[in-house]
Amino acid sequence: MILNYLGNFALLFCLIISLVIFITSISCLNNKNFFLKKNLNELLFFKFFFAVLSFSSLIILFIISEFSNETVLNNSHISKPLFYKISGTWGNHEGSLLLWLLVLTFFAFFYYLNSKNRPTDERLLTILFQEVIILGFLFFLLKASNPFNIIYPVPKEGLGLNPILQDPLLAIHPPVLYLGYVTTSIVFSSSLAGLIKGNINNLWAKDIKKWVFISWTFLTLGILLGSIWAYYELGWGGFWFWDPVENISLMPWLSLTALVHCVLALEKRSILHSWTVILSIITFTLGICGTFLVRSGILNSVHTFANDPERGLYILFFLFFLIFLSVFIYFIYEDKFELNNKNLNLYTKETSIILNNWFVMYFLSVILIGTVYPIFLEVLSNEKISVGPPFFNKLIIPFLIPFLIFMSIGPNLKWTKNNYFSKKLKLIIIFILSIILSTLVSKFFGNSALNITILLAASFYLFIITIKDLIKKGFKNYSQTISHFGFSLLVLSILLNSIFSNEITSNMRVGDEIKFSDKIIKLQKLENTTEANFLKLIAYFKIEEKNKTELVLEPEIRIYDKPETITSEAAIKTDIFKDRFLVINLVKENEYLNVRYQEKPFMLWIWISAIIISLGGIINIFKKNEKQIL
Amino acid sequence: MKTKIVIYIIFIFFAFSKYSFSNDLKLENKINKNLRCLICQGQSIYDSQSDFAESMKLVVKQKIESGMSEEEIYSFFKIQYGEWILYDPQFNTKNFALWLLPILLFLVGGIIILIKFGVLKKRL
Repeated sequence: MILNYLGNFALLFCLIISLVIFITSISCLNNKNFFLKKNLNELLFFKFFFAVLSFSSLIILFIISEFSNETVLNNSHISKPLFYKISGTWGNHEGSLLLWLLVLTFFAFFYYLNSKNRPTDERLLTILFQEVIILGFLFFLLKASNPFNIIYPVPKEGLGLNPILQDPLLAIHPPVLYLGYVTTSIVFSSSLAGLIKGNINNLWAKDIKKWVFISWTFLTLGILLGSIWAYYELGWGGFWFWDPVENISLMPWLSLTALVHCVLALEKRSILHSWTVILSIITFTLGICGTFLVRSGILNSVHTFANDPERGLYILFFLFFLIFLSVFIYFIYEDKFELNNKNLNLYTKETSIILNNWFVMYFLSVILIGTVYPIFLEVLSNEKISVGPPFFNKLIIPFLIPFLIFMSIGPNLKWTKNNYFSKKLKLIIIFILSIILSTLVSKFFGNSALNITILLAASFYLFIITIKDLIKKGFKNYSQTISHFGFSLLVLSILLNSIFSNEITSNMRVGDEIKFSDKIIKLQKLENTTEANFLKLIAYFKIEEKNKTELVLEPEIRIYDKPETITSEAAIKTDIFKDRFLVINLVKENEYLNVRYQEKPFMLWIWISAIIISLGGIINIFKKNEKQIL
Repeated sequence: MKTKIVIYIIFIFFAFSKYSFSNDLKLENKINKNLRCLICQGQSIYDSQSDFAESMKLVVKQKIESGMSEEEIYSFFKIQYGEWILYDPQFNTKNFALWLLPILLFLVGGIIILIKFGVLKKRL
């Protein structure tokens, strides 16, 4: 009980400190009096400390199942395993916002400690903008979604956590994703501060680059975790549904990807000043927009676990405030940008980075329009349409082909002068090679469309060239090469996966057998067991291949009691080259089970390639630190 | 010139390649993936395991067996349940902006790049 008050008061202290920082940093800006310099990091630390205090009291409330707390009551129950009691803290709206706040205060503190080489007024301004964001979240937390609401009389048992959220991966997915989102707020604040002070130049780019890479790496990993979770928990073997909530996490990632490249161009060549600022603003707003759309329940999605229109309205207001503020600042201080009258050489890295940004922004606009268009159409004409995977595939795949080719050639060009023509022959030979390779692949397996073959060729091209670069360049610029290599591997794995996936669906009883290419799938027995918080029905399948290798797969059906839900747990056997995926489902009113067996090649490589992509980002963050030490 | 020849060769290469059409099961899955499960939240009937999705899958199977084409099946479901059920939005008066806006933005982006960097004036 006392923890409820503790958490609440810690939040109030956060608010007070935040207001103090906000007001004093405004007055400091005018007086040019930097007395705050000494105290600011203490204040920022205490704010972070109180956020930690508040968050830990919520965690403890969840652990001891204190049902006088409304959040705990709605999202937990006594028999839930300890691990999910803890992860349940951020598996709900209030808790996840508190986590947002915690990460925000941490990064504000961390930024202040790590930005000593920036001008003091720019740092102060960054902290000021950061406080605006933190204040917004604090007011929202305290007013519209307080995690410490007290209920009296105290109920005996909680309502439970949605069973599909009771998963180890989903316990770490939101924190990782939030780390990514929240880091974009530093980029946002810093670019607005730099804009006001006229500091947007190559030195600024050099310093902010680290933050952009941190954010990008976390977002990549966060999306990956979510996708793996969706693969084994949600669907029948799909890992990306082009679902609104997934799209929303992908949009900031795309604009960050553009920003990663564009910051490099700004650092190395002093171009794209204003575009970098615009991208920073876009990235952060997309992140907030994501929170709004997910939490407001406007979107119809598999992932909408908590929604409330009133909260949506608040976030919408906050969002418009931030957009208005940044657009306002942008146009007032626009003339402070360094002008560049540089002419672009066609065969340079600059051009390829601009091309990258052009295409990435196109992908972003496809996803943005595909996600919000149905909402607007429904409001305006009351007609409901669905925008699903076919739409995105049709608009993205044709543009992905030139994108991949530019991506292969771009890194081989130099920043200023071209050395393109000397390498031309080699590049063409590799190109022809990859076309032959892709045609062979799709012919050999005999079922693929023309556009897929061309896309396959383009991704083979990128694949071969990045391998060549990795070998040739060695440790020079290897973070870029590794990320590009990972991306080519990702596209390749996804393509090969979609071409060669094979499946069979059937209704089976115990003792039944079905044939699938050269295999026999046999349902041997069923078993019932009782676990802590659910009933479990396990089916034992034996899969016999012709060369006598046997495989036992044990998919489950779980019947949770709080809240009452039935989930199917897929049995997945992961090998280097393919996943065997088996999921069962109850058929009503008879003893049959609905069985779907899938063979999905290269699944593992999809995950591995996403890890490789983020590895490139990690290397870049690390590399930067190394230079600073030296 | 060399590049042009290479491109021609590539095109001829593709023109003579034969691409087999998918069989019934593939078609069935393709159609299932394009139909929304109406009682689920944002899942296709292919991905869903609800009763509604299961019975829809049966209907799709029957329709394919009775010889209806993919398009006919879509329009059948569209008449029954409205356009909401189709994951692949059709190109019509309501949706033309959905399809054309991204491409328009792409073109506008291209023009902005050309103007900003003077490529239009100096290079071509």
